[in-house]
Amino acid sequence: MDANLPAMAASQAPFPWLSLIVLLPAIGALLMPLLPEVEESNALNLPRNIAIAFLLADFLLMLTIFGRLFDTQAVGLQLVERVSWIPFIGLEWSLGVDGLSGPLVLLSGLITLLSAAASWNLESKTRLYFALLLVQASAQALVFLSQDFLLFFLSWELELVPVYLLIAIWGGKRRLYAATKFILYTALASLLILISGLALALSGNDFTLNLSELTNRSPSGSFGLLCYLGFLIGFGVKLPIFPLHTWLPDAHGEANAPVSMLLAGILLKMGGYALLRFNVQMLPDAHLQMAPALIVIGIVNIIYGALNAFAQDNVKRRIACSSVSHMGFVLLGIGAIDALGISGAMLQMISHGLIAAAMFFVTGSFYERTKTLSIPNMGGLAKVLPTTFAFFLTSSLASLALPGMSGFVSEITVFLGITSQEGFTPVFRAITIILAAIGLVLTPIYLLSMCRRVFFGPRIPALAMVEEMNPRELTIGLSLLLPTLIIGFWPRVAIDFYEASTNGLAEKLISHTLVTLNQATPLS
Amino acid sequence: MPSAAEIAWLIPLLPLLGAAITGLGLIGFNRTLNQLRKPVSIGLISCLGASAVLSYAVLLEQLGGSPTVEHLFVWASAGSFVLPMGYVVDPLAAVMLSLVTTIAMLVMVYSHGYMAHDKGYVRFFTYLALFSSSMLGLIVSPNLLEIYVFWELVGMCSYLLVGFWYDREGAAHAAQKAFVVNRVGDFGLLLGILGLFWATGSFDFQGIADGLAAATSVGTVPGWAALTLCLLVFMGPMAKSAQFPLHVWLPDAMEGPTPISALIHAATMVAAGVFLVARLEPLYSQFPSVGLVIAVVGTITCFLGASIALTQMDLKKGLAYSTVSQLGYMMLAMGCGAPVAGMFHLVTHAFFKAMLFLGSGSVIHAMEDVVGHQPILAQDMRLMGGLRKKMPITAFTFLIGCVAISGIPPLAGFWSKDEILGQAFSAFPILWFVGFLTAGMTAFYMFRLYFLTFEGTFRGEDKALQQQLLRAAGESIDEEEEPHSSGVLHESPWSMTYPLIVLAVPSVLIGLLGTPWNSLFGALLNPEEAIEMAQNFSWRGFLPLASASVAISSLGITLAIFAYYLKRIDLGIQVAERFKSINSFLIRKWYLDDINEKIFVQGSRKLAREVLEVDAKVVDGVVNLTGLLTLGSGEGLKYFETGRAQFYALVVFGGVIALVALFGVLGNPPPV
Repeated sequence: MDANLPAMAASQAPFPWLSLIVLLPAIGALLMPLLPEVEESNALNLPRNIAIAFLLADFLLMLTIFGRLFDTQAVGLQLVERVSWIPFIGLEWSLGVDGLSGPLVLLSGLITLLSAAASWNLESKTRLYFALLLVQASAQALVFLSQDFLLFFLSWELELVPVYLLIAIWGGKRRLYAATKFILYTALASLLILISGLALALSGNDFTLNLSELTNRSPSGSFGLLCYLGFLIGFGVKLPIFPLHTWLPDAHGEANAPVSMLLAGILLKMGGYALLRFNVQMLPDAHLQMAPALIVIGIVNIIYGALNAFAQDNVKRRIACSSVSHMGFVLLGIGAIDALGISGAMLQMISHGLIAAAMFFVTGSFYERTKTLSIPNMGGLAKVLPTTFAFFLTSSLASLALPGMSGFVSEITVFLGITSQEGFTPVFRAITIILAAIGLVLTPIYLLSMCRRVFFGPRIPALAMVEEMNPRELTIGLSLLLPTLIIGFWPRVAIDFYEASTNGLAEKLISHTLVTLNQATPLS
Repeated sequence: MPSAAEIAWLIPLLPLLGAAITGLGLIGFNRTLNQLRKPVSIGLISCLGASAVLSYAVLLEQLGGSPTVEHLFVWASAGSFVLPMGYVVDPLAAVMLSLVTTIAMLVMVYSHGYMAHDKGYVRFFTYLALFSSSMLGLIVSPNLLEIYVFWELVGMCSYLLVGFWYDREGAAHAAQKAFVVNRVGDFGLLLGILGLFWATGSFDFQGIADGLAAATSVGTVPGWAALTLCLLVFMGPMAKSAQFPLHVWLPDAMEGPTPISALIHAATMVAAGVFLVARLEPLYSQFPSVGLVIAVVGTITCFLGASIALTQMDLKKGLAYSTVSQLGYMMLAMGCGAPVAGMFHLVTHAFFKAMLFLGSGSVIHAMEDVVGHQPILAQDMRLMGGLRKKMPITAFTFLIGCVAISGIPPLAGFWSKDEILGQAFSAFPILWFVGFLTAGMTAFYMFRLYFLTFEGTFRGEDKALQQQLLRAAGESIDEEEEPHSSGVLHESPWSMTYPLIVLAVPSVLIGLLGTPWNSLFGALLNPEEAIEMAQNFSWRGFLPLASASVAISSLGITLAIFAYYLKRIDLGIQVAERFKSINSFLIRKWYLDDINEKIFVQGSRKLAREVLEVDAKVVDGVVNLTGLLTLGSGEGLKYFETGRAQFYALVVFGGVIALVALFGVLGNPPPV
């Protein structure tokens, strides 16, 4: 036993664990061009197997890091790495993780891995496909982990490219339209992010891009409000918020199922995460002013999304609209500006990530067999695919916030957050809760009617003999649904992960209310 | 050794463990597990059996005067907020635990016979165990939020079990309807829970009651708000316990397998609403006007159920409307401020109605061998008749059930119903009168069911009648169907008749535990009230009311005998023809399903389609800027000129603007 080893390690700079998380998939992507192209799906599909191996390694690495090195009690950033990269524009390779980003990094690691596994039978351009998936994995980890505004922005943009290509090359009939719409919406919105971010960076005495330093500026007044609005629109497109949501049904309608898993499971969560990181953490004063507006948008999202979903005749478009509805609860939670609300918003992101990915995965799984997603053309699938039915029904029930599943915990927490926010008048709270609860009635209507029309009823002859889910698909489905069940039964598993950070954020908001109140007192 | 109450958490957990193991097995090793029918059912029945033994131990302890046991732990937290969950064992919970475990176990034994030929045998038992676990969890919940959790879970199990035969179109619709209607009730329940939390900062029953009393007396919560919250919470029980106008799901839910109708839709889950109102007694007793609303809703339900049951030709639907009606009685009791009476009727009704449903299942099981598996045929009483000779045990137990529900002493229904009517008489005489009339109707329709099914001659082999029934239901007539028609009626196997016999015993005797002069049941649930009742009891007060109810029941039975057994009166000609509009009003179930379909189902579909149209053409267009271009080219202009779309666009955007304006006025955000 060498007793000196730990001491020596401690004296050196700590190992850049977070960089390893970010770079590992990128290394895998670099290997792809060296591999032989595979024309038909078989067990020896090297690009696929290598991609899955890298993503698995990355996910296990995340689990180890968050299990061993991450301190759930700490409020601030952890495992911080700061290396000057391009000093001349102030760009730093600056990474760090806290309770807001940690769970989402883990979530995106899991979903990318499962998405790769769900692409098992992909037959065309496998090298490119899996390379893009790996690049996407790196980019999204960087979005959640970077602590430098420019680095954040670069990764935010970088992650658009693989998704665009994944939709545009492997999508459905109208894939180009959908992909272009996606890239136009998000790229134009990104401009606003860049402008707001640079404005903030330039606003202080000295130029800085470091997020922690920007956070300490907390500008107020109309400047803060303008930056807030810029961020809100920019991130709102990703979440998505009404009326910037129309790219989502198109993108989901055309993307293949594994890419839909990424979109719903990870990309939408970036919007919510960035709202918390920038709008709430950096601009608390503006957020306190704008919180009621977020709540109003959230309610529109919930009801409008649900009604849209009910009218959709395509399974994936219906689930996409349900995402719009569910992300309304994230807005509601963020707008509630208290510990309960923010905690609910965090949990809703995690929970929706798992559930929506599960729904898209199961949809993809039966689409491979039925070759149709049109609800009127289906019926009686349960008779042929009972296990698929069980998975689809379970994820639908999870999605409609059935207790015992994570969606219930997050939505009830958001409700409680609004209820207990004394800053709003009782009438405002009552109206908010009543309207949001209408969403709870609409959700089962559109989800269960979809289940009924697709799976219930007599078997239709066109779908006579198709094979049931195989063990690989069962594993993917269970990997998504078991966490929802576990969180639903014992929510502390997830809450403990981020509670210190969300409580810290809520305390910061409360202290800002006190500051503004104290400033106001001399005048009155 | 710990007391039974200390380990009462095992009661809901044991069936859950069983369900989880078989459930995972069904996903992972479907084929293998489906061959292990016997081990699975024995395992799950033993899980429930262990729960039942524990429940009896808990009940014995409570009878011996043990104090209430409550254990809580922190389930979720954020900031200074903590959400406790846990379990509570008190007399009310002990009674319900024993009731639910007993009936669930008997229904499981029965299902072994009833589902013997079904491919989904293992899945059925898994769902049953899952339901039992959720229902038991609901009973031991110490606060409203935990009740809500299990409330939704029993609703989910009901959904799964109503839709158990998922290849039947009717079952699919019924399951969805049950879930959605219950969600409407849960909408109110959730708002009520949140509102009560806002008003009192508490979720537990006593805390809410005390907090609301304090808040209204201080004036922080205005009286009307407190009232609204109480009524919102009551929406939950209204849906779950099938109270007018949210009862519409229950008759449709008969699409599920009959053991489910007995367990969930007669004995246990539908009673959960009554149970919750009993739990909320400290809250509701503060507001007499809430009591009045509950009593009126209960009375309407009670009358409505019985009146529709008069004309039903489907054996199970007849029983279902009877359940609706009996649940109305229970709610009436709750509204009269007599939760003990309501709970007592819940218990007696659970036994005899479970037996009646299982009996109807036994009949259907036998009928299926003659007329095939179509519910339209197998459940229609026009094809039955004379079954008593072929299946004496079923017929005899069914007859006991009919006598019990009709309120003939000394069977169970007499004591519990009479207590409710007595309470209603002193609280709201008008409601008593409706309840009294309903008692006569109950006796009539129950004996109508009995005579049509078990007496007379068997009509099942009448092919012409079968065709006619099928055509009336709009079903295509399958000539080649009838693979399994042996054509011979037979008594059901022991696993089905044995539970019937077991249930007959409490159906006859259990009422004696709640006699008004010495009510053991009352002494357990509310000792002071029971002593008071025993002291105030006088034969002179009791006999007139009791004999009046017995008289009207006897009248109903006599009428049924004349019409359906002796066939001296033809009601079809003498009544139905003469009062055509009333007859069709009853046959169409008060037109409630039609109204429901027109307004809510069609309305929501239309609204959704229009919103989607607006989304695709307006919102998408405007944000895309392409909308402007198409406007210029005239393509979009045409759309706008239709006016309708424009109107809806205005509504959507106007709505958004109104909401924005609203937060400006009401939002009152902390800073500024």
